[in-house]
Parts: sequence; C-alpha cells; structure tokens
Amino acid sequence: MQQTLEDFYKVVRSAGIDISIADSIETSKTVELVGYSNRDTLKHALSLSLAKTVDEKQILDECFEQFYSFKSFQKNKGIGDKTAGDGGDGDQSDDQKSAADQKDPEYTGEIELAKMLIEQDKAALAQSMKKAARESGMTDIWLFTQKGIYTRRIMDKMGAQELNKEIVALGKGDGPTDSALAGKLRWAQKYLFNEVRNFVEQQLLMFGKTTSQTIHEEFLKNTCLSNIEKRDFETMNKIVRKMAKRLSSLYSKKRKRKDRGQLDFRKTLRNNVAYDGVIFNIFWKMKVVDKPRILALCDVSGSVSSYSRFLLLFLYSLSDVLDRIDTCVFTNTLIDVNDIFDKFPVQQAVEKIVYEFGMSGSDYGNTFLDLKDKYMDKIDNKTTVIILGDARNNRLDPQTKVMKLLYQRAKRVIWLNPETKSFWGIGDSEMLRYKPYCNVVKECNTVTHLKLMVDTILKISAQAA
Amino acid sequence: MKNLYENTFQSVEDIKQEFETHSYICNTQIATCVYIAYNLQKPVMVEGPAGVGKTELAKTTADILGVPLVRLQCYEGLDESKALYEWKYGKQMLYTQLLKDKLSEILDGAVSLRQSMTKLQGYEDLFFSEDFLEARPLYRALQEEHGCVLLIDEIDKSDHEFEAFLLEILSEFQVSIPELGTLGAKIKPLVFLTSNDTREMSDALKRRCLHLHIGFPDEKLERKILNTRVPNLSETLRKEVVSFVQQVRNLDIKKVPSISETIDWAKTLLLLHAEHLERETVIETLNVFLKFEEDIDAVNEQVTTFIRKAKPYTE
Repeated sequence: MQQTLEDFYKVVRSAGIDISIADSIETSKTVELVGYSNRDTLKHALSLSLAKTVDEKQILDECFEQFYSFKSFQKNKGIGDKTAGDGGDGDQSDDQKSAADQKDPEYTGEIELAKMLIEQDKAALAQSMKKAARESGMTDIWLFTQKGIYTRRIMDKMGAQELNKEIVALGKGDGPTDSALAGKLRWAQKYLFNEVRNFVEQQLLMFGKTTSQTIHEEFLKNTCLSNIEKRDFETMNKIVRKMAKRLSSLYSKKRKRKDRGQLDFRKTLRNNVAYDGVIFNIFWKMKVVDKPRILALCDVSGSVSSYSRFLLLFLYSLSDVLDRIDTCVFTNTLIDVNDIFDKFPVQQAVEKIVYEFGMSGSDYGNTFLDLKDKYMDKIDNKTTVIILGDARNNRLDPQTKVMKLLYQRAKRVIWLNPETKSFWGIGDSEMLRYKPYCNVVKECNTVTHLKLMVDTILKISAQAA
Repeated sequence: MKNLYENTFQSVEDIKQEFETHSYICNTQIATCVYIAYNLQKPVMVEGPAGVGKTELAKTTADILGVPLVRLQCYEGLDESKALYEWKYGKQMLYTQLLKDKLSEILDGAVSLRQSMTKLQGYEDLFFSEDFLEARPLYRALQEEHGCVLLIDEIDKSDHEFEAFLLEILSEFQVSIPELGTLGAKIKPLVFLTSNDTREMSDALKRRCLHLHIGFPDEKLERKILNTRVPNLSETLRKEVVSFVQQVRNLDIKKVPSISETIDWAKTLLLLHAEHLERETVIETLNVFLKFEEDIDAVNEQVTTFIRKAKPYTE
C-alpha cells in the first residue's frame, strides 16, 4: 500500500503541489491511522495533510478521483466481442468470423494470460496489468514519445510474447477447436493492446503533465522576449506573475528595526520619568523603511515593444512591494500611462498601451526633453528610473545633457537594453553615449534577466533601509 | 480529572456523534480532521470566512474532552511577553527590598567581598524562578496538568516574528526561556489555529499543521445546525430562513452572512413571534445579518423574490 501512496504523491506533485519528504512521512502516518476502508475518510485525510490552501484542496480532490478510479477493462465491449479490437483496420479474417459463430472453445494450455483472456477475467487482467506497470516503472513516464515503449514493456511483462507463440502454435495445430481458439486469442490480444495503450495514456496524463510543462516554461524563461510567439503569451504571463510573486513574498516582509541599533536617549528618558528615572522601557532610534519608488520609461517603438510588454507586466505584478510605479511609454514623446493601468486589469492595460502608442520610430532626444519639462521635479533621491530601450535614436540629437541631469537627481538610473552588448554603439545606437549617465546598463531580453534586474533594485532598497 | 488523551475517539463517526450531542454539527471532513489531530497529536490550522464556527470547533472539542480551553487572541504587535511569559517586575522589586533588609543577616560575619559573594551564592537563585514568572496563555497551555485545548485565534493578524516563534511550540511542544532553560509540555495540548485568510501564512507553519478549510454549509447542514442551535423555531420557518440566507450568499455583497448570523436572525424572528417570512418583518430585520448599508440596499431589492423562492420550498 505504501507504494500506492507514493505513486499518489507523484501524481500530486506533477499536478503542481509541492510535497516535501517530511510531508509525505506525516501523511503516511495519517493514512495508517485512518486506513483504506472508507474512501471518503481517506480522501479527507489526504486533503487535510497534503493541501495547504483551498486551491490545492481542489487540485488534490481531482487527483484523488483520477488516481483512485480504475477505468481499464471496464467497458461493455467484452473480450469476445468483435468490436473490441481496433475495429477499423479491416483485419477481420475469416477464421475470426467463424470463431465467433461457433460455440466458445475452451483453452486448456498453460499460458496464464491466454487463460485470463479466454475466461474474460477482467479483474485478474487489471491486476496483472497494474503489476506489470509497476514493474516497468510506469510512474516515471514524462513524455508522450514514451507511450509506445511503456505499452510494449507492460505487454511483455504480462506475457504477450508467450501468448504470441501460443497463438502461432494453435494456428498450426490440428485439433478441432485449435484454429477457432487461435482466432479468438488473436482478437483478444488486440483488445488487450488497446486497453494497455489507453492505460498508458491515462498514466501519462497524470504523471507526465507538469514535467513537459516545466520544460516548456524553462525554455520560455530563457527565450529572447521578441521571439516569443503569441500562443505562448498566456504561459508567459503566468511565468511572469509567478516570478513576481516569489520576489514580492521575499521582499514584502516588513523588516522590523525595533530593539536594535542606536539608543534613542531622549525618548527613553522621557518615557521613564514615571519610574523615577529608572530605565525600564528602552527606546531605539528607528528608521523609516521606504518602499522603492520607480519611474519606468518604456520604448514602445516597433522592435522594442515586445520587450516593454513583459517589463510592464512584471513591474505591475510587483505592486505589493513597490510603493508606486509611474509608467511612461514613448516613441518620440512621453506618454503617461498610469491612468490606463488604474482603469484596466494589468494584462489588458499592457495590451492596450502597446496597441495604442507603439510602432513608430523612436526619438530619445525629444523624449528626454519631454521628461525634463514634465517629470524632473517629481524625481528625487528616492526614485529609481528604469529605461527600457535599444537607444536607437534614428541619428537625431541624443540630448545627453538631460540624461546627465537625470543621473544627478535620481537615486539610480537603470538602462535595460534588449540588444546584445556587441551591437551597442553600432549604427544609430547611442547607448555608449548614454552609458556614463547610468548606474547600471544591462542587456535584458529574457524573463530571467528581468527577474535579476528587479531583484537587484529590491535588494538595494532593502539594504538602504 | 481525566487526562486529555485518555478519552479515545474510536472513529470518525464517533466524533461526529459526540459533536452533535454538544450542539456542533460537523461534516465528515471536520470530524476526520479532529480524529487525526487527536490521534497523531498534530496542530490544526482552520481557515474559512468569519462566523463559520472555527473558534466554536475548538471550544466544543475542549468541552467533549473535558479539558480546559486556553485561548490566545492574536493581534499585530503580539509578542513573547504577552503570549508566553513575563517576569513579575513588581514582585521582584519587593523581593529586592526584602533582601536588602535581610542582607546583613545573610552576610552575617562575612568580612571581604569574596566571602560575601560565596555566602550569597549558597542561596538558590530565587530572583528568576517560577515564583516570579507571570504565565501567559502559551506557557499555561504547556503547564496544564491534564492537558488542554489551545486555541490560537486569528493567527493571520499576528506578525511574521510571532509566527516564527510559534514554530518551536507547534513542532516540539516546548519553549525556551533564557533564565530557566527549555520547558516541555506536561501533556501535549491539542492545538487549533484559526485564520481568516487576511494574509498567507508561511510554509513552515503550514507544514506543521493539518489544514482544514471550513466553508459555508449547504442547505441541509445549515438546517440541521439551526435545529440544534435554535430548537424552538418551527420547521417551516427554519426552512424558509435557511433558503433565504442561502440565496443572499449568492449575491455580490460586501459581507456574506455566515452561520452565526443565520442563527442570530432565527433567534430574532423567534422573538418577534414570526411564523413565516413576511416582507415587512424581513426588511425590518435585515440589519441582523447584514452589516453594511450597501448590502442591505442590495438585498432589499430582492426581498420579494427571495421570499417567493423560499416559500414554495416549504409548501
């Protein structure tokens, strides 16, 4: 039974619930206590000890239903039924037809599998299949390409090869019922193959679902953002949100600066006057922890817009930790898009911005002049400015003076360039001229880069606090 | 008095019945949870909306087991000194005064400082002993002779620090007091932690607990609960009340009425000698189970429809 339970953990893990070894030990104890006799109690017990949120409970219930129901060999189509096999392959030879017409022949041979098939012992077949599946390591399946090999392994373990030999032997035999028996067994063999293949498919769904998902997600994380296809946007959004959530839970904890650091002597004295100056309550100087304030400037012109999409999404998903993000997009002038973010849900807002303002050629110089007019007085030594763009200025005036001013005023200026480093400064790229006025300039074209960048911002602000 | 673990819950069904005799109607899930928690001595984290009987579960369990209930209400800023122990400063100062008067007697004959110190050290260290310890709920729970049910209410309101502090108690059932050393539980208490889900608890804490989610009951269960809690209510009115509340729960309102509010409303209706749900009475008593003006307005518009739907059910 322990093996079954471990298989169940595998299913649950592959459905996305983390189960640690300690969890599994505790759960095994729980199951030992409640026993397997009552299905409901078992289900509740598993749910109580494995699932830690309401969502997880739902997933776990589904897993349970899937895992503890056995559908193989349940269909009405019997082994002797002609429709049981693949049906469509037109393989119904004459001997099969005659076999069905005749009275059921009896099998007296030694092959266990043949006996089960002829006697239509579904329970025994199911049991034998389960055993074979366990022996062939069914639960390790994780790719659809492995379906064939697992089906074959299970069939072999159940004794398919011996069955085959028996069929050949019976086909050659000259007993009165031999050929009929061979026909019937051949037919049953097909039925068995179908059942095993279906079983393997079910198992793949249970055990292999997330493995392939994880591989795909890992791949997406390190794929250049501009190469991500539209059909993967949904998955990307999920990944971005997941990453943001992890960062946010890491940094959102209020780090109390109480009871450490410098003694606040005045406050301590004042509060202890009541005790005749005997110092009972001690007060420490406290620092106000500031959430980092961020001004994000996103180039949404043609080639860069696909990067901005994810940066915006990422930053807004972090709103728990970041006090306020002011977001502007630009091609040749700055456009404040905070309103759009306030009105629409994040994802929709991002789509809308990229659609409405994107696609024309960029003019960094003019954008910076705009920034100087509209935003410079909002930027102070607590503001982190993030600029996302390729710095391709179409050979216009880069206005590096404004950039210098920005650098002097802001706490940090971070420039994220989606282009590879070797392209900086080549052609109309002004990156090298802007670079001296940035605290950090980084190549950023995958989600992993994005994560690292935000991690750095948060880490610095946490240290400063 | 019996020890906490001397009572034995034979089975899940057993627990269900015990709870029912104590006027707490629970489903199999809750009963299974108590069964496991009791037998494996594991803490239970109970989550769910306000008023579904999370706190009541702990109280009833204590009642059934015949042990005291020790309750710790959590809030922001709760710390060790309020949850675990504190030194009785006043008493310690008095003791110092006493000591001062008796000092010459104690130090009788000692000439040098070294001699005085040796003499003083001969006396046991009373200053930091259990006599001067002000026991707070957690400490009390560990010290109960016959065990107890420990209810840590609204854990989600406490700080992260306190949550981390609880870890030692929940896994080892022991606490460390610097001056006294590590103190273990005499009998492991049965622990219930409740949370309204206002913030997510840490994985470490969740890992140590069984996780029970109590949602709103279905109509049948709610009628049964109402039957035990307000037994004088006529059956027709009971059905109508439950059906009405269940309909209100489907609305998009700020604060959905919970079981405790259904009970309050039923009691109110009983007091008003209502036999059926009438439009007038319902409108006048909406504020018993709805806590926001907007909610009352929203339900007000639907009262007639809801009553109509609730009535054919009873006819």
